Amino acid sequence: MSTRAKWMKVLTSAALVTLAFQCAGAQSGQTRTNAGTPDVAKTIKAVADALGMPRTGGPGGALLPEIDVVNRMEIWGSGSSSASGQASKTEYHAALGYNPLAMRLETTRTNPGGAPQHTIQTVRDKYAWNESQLGAGLEPGRGTATPEMAAVKERLLQLWLLPYGVVKAAMAAGDKTTVSLEDGATVLTVPLSGELAGVTLKATLDSKNFITKVVGQTGGGMDIEADYSDYADHGEILTDVKSPGHIVQKRGGATVLDIQIKTWDANNPYLVFPVPENVKNATRQESSKVAEK
Amino acid sequence: MTSYFGYRLLALAAMLCVLPAAVFAQEEAPGMIHKVTVRAAPTGVTPRTPDGHPDFTGVWNGMADNLLGVPNQMHNEGIAVESDHSTYDVLSGAKIATWPLAKPKRQNGEQNERAATLLRRMGASRPIYKPEYWDMVKELDANANEEDPSNNCMPAGVPRVGSPSYIGQFPNYLIFIYPGQGGLIATQTMYRMIPLDGRKHTPLQDLDGSYTGEGIAHWEGDTLVVDTWGFNTATWFDQLGGYFHSENMHVIERFQRNGNTLTWTATIDDPDVLLEPWTTTPRIQLLNPNPKAMLPESLPCSERDLAHAVTKEHH
Repeated sequence: MSTRAKWMKVLTSAALVTLAFQCAGAQSGQTRTNAGTPDVAKTIKAVADALGMPRTGGPGGALLPEIDVVNRMEIWGSGSSSASGQASKTEYHAALGYNPLAMRLETTRTNPGGAPQHTIQTVRDKYAWNESQLGAGLEPGRGTATPEMAAVKERLLQLWLLPYGVVKAAMAAGDKTTVSLEDGATVLTVPLSGELAGVTLKATLDSKNFITKVVGQTGGGMDIEADYSDYADHGEILTDVKSPGHIVQKRGGATVLDIQIKTWDANNPYLVFPVPENVKNATRQESSKVAEK
Repeated sequence: MTSYFGYRLLALAAMLCVLPAAVFAQEEAPGMIHKVTVRAAPTGVTPRTPDGHPDFTGVWNGMADNLLGVPNQMHNEGIAVESDHSTYDVLSGAKIATWPLAKPKRQNGEQNERAATLLRRMGASRPIYKPEYWDMVKELDANANEEDPSNNCMPAGVPRVGSPSYIGQFPNYLIFIYPGQGGLIATQTMYRMIPLDGRKHTPLQDLDGSYTGEGIAHWEGDTLVVDTWGFNTATWFDQLGGYFHSENMHVIERFQRNGNTLTWTATIDDPDVLLEPWTTTPRIQLLNPNPKAMLPESLPCSERDLAHAVTKEHH
C-alpha cells in the first residue's frame, strides 16, 4: 500500500468515526444541537436535573409531570467576608424562598480584638429591612425592624445569583434566555425582570451541568460574581437536591465573601418572612414621595 | 482488502449512528398520557333539602385536585398541576416550572420519599407563627418521625382530618365520618355529630379539650359553616409541617356544594401561637357517582414505630 493510500485510509477512518459520534450525540438528547450550538431548553433542563430540581410523584406511583420543587432553603456556613476592605471571620446563616421571593441573611462578623457584629438583613418582594432580632417588629416588644428600601434590589439579586435562581429565571425568561459556548464552556445568559429588570445573569456550566460561576451584570459597572463548587446533598434531611459546598462572591474582582457550607437544608422547611407593619408604612410613604415628585 | 476494511468502517459508523437513536427514542416517545391534577369541573345539579339549603348528604370519597390526592386528609400542598407543561401555586398564582415526562420515571422508595418531602412542602401557603415558635415548628417537622402526634394510630383531630368521606345531613344535626387509613398514613377512624339547631357554644373554660372539639354548624347563605373550639393540644392542625396549636385554637370550616363537588376550607385562629388566622387552600372532593355507594371498612391502623427510623426522611 502506498503512503498516500495509507493516509487516505487513516483520514477516512477518522472522518467516519467522528461522523458516527456526532450522529450519536445529536440523537442522545445532549445539550448540543446538530450545529454544535447548545440547545437552550435542553441546557436548562440539564442544569435543573443536575441540581435535583425537577421531581415527580403521586399516589400509587401515578404519573405527574416533573415540577420544580425548590422553594424554601436554609443555609449555614462559615468563612470570611469583607466590608470596606477589611476581612472578618464570618458565620453565615441564610433563610430564603422563591415563592414568595424572600431572604433573611444573618451574619456574625468577628475581627481580632473586636466584639462580634451581628446583623439580620431581610427582603421580601419590594420590602427590605434590618431586624435587631429574628422576627423583630412583628410583635410588641420584639426588637426593631428598620426599613432599608434602598437595599431591595441588592438583596433580591442574591436569590437569583444562586444556581436555583438561575434556573428559575431562565425558565421564566422563556425565549429571552440564550445559551452560548465561551472558551469551551456552556454559558446561559438570562435577563431578569420585575424589580431587577435590566440586570443580566451569565451562568457558566461545568461538564456535569453544574453552575460554577454566575455573573450578575447590573449595568452600573459593579458586576457581582458568585463562584460555586463541591456540589452535593448537604441537607440534614436528604432530598437529592444538590447544593454547593463552597461559595465565593466577588465585586470588582475583589473577594467579598468566602463561605464553606456546613448544612444546606433544601427540604422546603418552615421559613416565613412576614413584613412588619412599620416597614410597609415606610415603603408606602416613600412610594408616595416618589409619585409626588 | 482495502475495500473490505472500508466497508467494515462504514458498517461500524452506521451502527454507531443507529444505536443511540434506538436507545434514546424510548425516552422521547411522544403521546404518553400523564395523570395531572386538574381541578374537577362540577357537574350535575345541587340537590336541596325541603328547607331550601344545599343537601350535602353523600359519600364524598372521590379524589379531586389534590396533588397527592388521598381523600380524607388535609394535605394542603396548594399546588395545581394543570397539564404536562403547566403548574401553579394556588395561593400566590405563581407559575412553577414544569417538564413533561416522556416515560415513567423509575424511582425507588427512598427517591419517592425524598420527592414527596419536597412536593408536599413547596406550596406558598404557610401559617404565620409568632417568631418565638419559628424554630420549634421547623424542628417538629424535621423530626416528624418522632414528634408527629398522629403516629401510633392516634386521632388526626380537627382540622387535620380534613373533609369527611361521608356526610349525613338532618334538619337539626350533621354526621361526619372520616374513615381511618392504614398504610403509611395510619390514622384512626373519626366521627363527629354536629348540631345545626342554632345553639351557642359552651364557654371555652367549661369544656374538656378533645380531638374534635365542640363543633356547631350554621348556614351562611348556601355555605355550611362549622365553628369548633374546645380542643386538646395533642394534634397538629395540618397533615404535615409540625403545626402545633394551643387549647385556644378556634377552627371555622366552610363547606360548599356545587353539583358533584364539595369544596372545603378551614380557617385556624390561635392567638396564643399564630400572628394571624390562617386559611387552608381549598380541598375539593368528588361525590361518589354510585348512588348505592357505601363506605368501605377502614384498614386496621398499624403502628410503624417511626420513632426508631434511622434517618429523618419522612412523608
